[in-house]
Amino acid sequence: MLTDFGILLLFILAGLGLLGLILGIGRLLRPDRPNPEKNATYESGEEPVGNANVQFNVRFYVVALLFVLFEIELIFLFPWAVVFGNEDLIQQTDGRWGWFALAEMTVFVGMLILGLAYAWVKGYLDWVRPKPAIPATESPVPAALYEAINKKYESKTVNKT
Amino acid sequence: MYPIVLLSVLGIVVLYLGFLKSKSILLPATLLFLVVAMIGNFFEWNDGELLYFKGMFAVNKLTLTFNAIVLFSAFMIVAMTQGFQDNEEAQPAEYFALMLFSLVGAFMMIGFENLIMLFLGVEILSVAMYVLTGSDKRNLRSNEAALKYFLMGAFATGIMLFGIALLYGASGSFSLNGIESFVTLNQRSPSYLLYAGLLLVLIGMLFKVSAAPFHFWTPDVYDGAPSIFTAFMATIVKTAGFAALFRLLSHSFSGIYDFWWPTLSILTVLTLLVGNIIAVYQDSFKRMLAYSSISHAGYLLIALTSMTKQTENAILFYSMAYSFATICAFGVLIPVAREKSLEGRPNESYEAFNGLAKNNPLLAFVLTVSMLSLAGIPLTAGFWGKFFVFSSAVERELVWMIIVAVLMSAVGIYYYFRVIMAAYMKEGDTATIRIAPFYKIVLIAATLLTILFGLAPGLFEAAM
Repeated sequence: MLTDFGILLLFILAGLGLLGLILGIGRLLRPDRPNPEKNATYESGEEPVGNANVQFNVRFYVVALLFVLFEIELIFLFPWAVVFGNEDLIQQTDGRWGWFALAEMTVFVGMLILGLAYAWVKGYLDWVRPKPAIPATESPVPAALYEAINKKYESKTVNKT
Repeated sequence: MYPIVLLSVLGIVVLYLGFLKSKSILLPATLLFLVVAMIGNFFEWNDGELLYFKGMFAVNKLTLTFNAIVLFSAFMIVAMTQGFQDNEEAQPAEYFALMLFSLVGAFMMIGFENLIMLFLGVEILSVAMYVLTGSDKRNLRSNEAALKYFLMGAFATGIMLFGIALLYGASGSFSLNGIESFVTLNQRSPSYLLYAGLLLVLIGMLFKVSAAPFHFWTPDVYDGAPSIFTAFMATIVKTAGFAALFRLLSHSFSGIYDFWWPTLSILTVLTLLVGNIIAVYQDSFKRMLAYSSISHAGYLLIALTSMTKQTENAILFYSMAYSFATICAFGVLIPVAREKSLEGRPNESYEAFNGLAKNNPLLAFVLTVSMLSLAGIPLTAGFWGKFFVFSSAVERELVWMIIVAVLMSAVGIYYYFRVIMAAYMKEGDTATIRIAPFYKIVLIAATLLTILFGLAPGLFEAAM
């Protein structure tokens, strides 16, 4: 009698065996005539330039992070969809089941949307970050006047340290 | 259960409050939300043992008390945050939201009934702490600390996850009850998978509470992080971590006590030695506090190793006394270090405290009480904490361990008193430091509580 781990081991062994078999057949059948063109790295038909070991722009990580977030959300949506459409459960509860499941998923997706909205408003989705606009005030009062007042009340201002 | 839901939602509210023009509403709002969570926490006080999320999360008086300690510590630390309004770089909304989210993780660690929930709690707490550690973006030390903490923490979490997988492989269950029944059924024929799994989970958890030999990250991370977040790390992560360890060991693995107590006792002695002896050689007060937090993990581990009926109470009382004293110590460190800043950075060395008592008697007094409590001098809460821990060890007849612990407390007195000596006896000119009234109230309250529980430790049990 095999345990679950035994089945897993068999699965791994079968996978390795099959891979070896297919590659082995290919090796036996194919002609072997290498040239530099064939040995080059294949990257979408583009000619490779330079080393792949370079520094990537940090913005890629933000995009990757958001991508992972929403991919996980999708993974959760699949099992949910199965339970959501379960006819037995819907009939047993006179259709309230569907609304309940929908509400639960709305809460879940809503939380993620709040996160996305936060990143959006903060400007993390913009590829080119806008330069900070330094606010300029046009005051009729000359700056020297302020300085004079500051100096006058210097001893009374609370030391903010 | 209520505080988890409340703080998850209110954390998002705090995040969105950050879009308002005025940043001054954030601090009172966060404090209000913590009070709301505290009220929600005690809603279930009289309901006995409750289970939530299909038996994955438990609520009882013990978890509620731990929650209350964590919430109260968080309230005091948040009340002490200052200067975010004036700092252009600071993102107070995000800091406060992360603090609230990390509390959710702490609650999960305190009340988990399923190893998945433990893992989730550890991650929620840790990820928030990684970010807060690196929140001082312009400071290279803070960046280094965050990266170090993140890399080491990720490894520790991975080890813990591996341990959880092995425990599942051995017992076929993630739930504490399932593992417990497996352990009691198979006491005679040990499963090595289970032993390996338990050890790996222990390594992961001991890393989070910074017990030797998994403590190497602690000094650098505590030193590099902004002081206010160091206080948060030193109190809340430690309390939640020990609550989780206690729950795991007392609940599921009490059947194989003979297996894990020798391992844990060696780590305990190692933690005590490393924490106390290296603390003596520190020149920075903040770094000394980091090593002191390692040594306090050692004392808490004594209670865990002995695992008697008193352990529960000892861990509760000790973590509370330790939290209050640590919050006081950081509460004094922050204004003093800022006042004495060197080249724009806060000066956290012992010298900064020289002659503090002359113009700042309140700060010096708060510092003295907190140091006495950390050293375990009678009439402070810290003394009773150590007393309960040692008496639980006596019950288990672990006398040799107590001898080491008492010797190490004597070493502790040396480095704790160094800063008191600096404040009262050394020459120095510290101008009167202005402290916000609310800050002052928090410091006085924490000090009074330390003395109150030192005079009447029975009050705590009466409240339970």
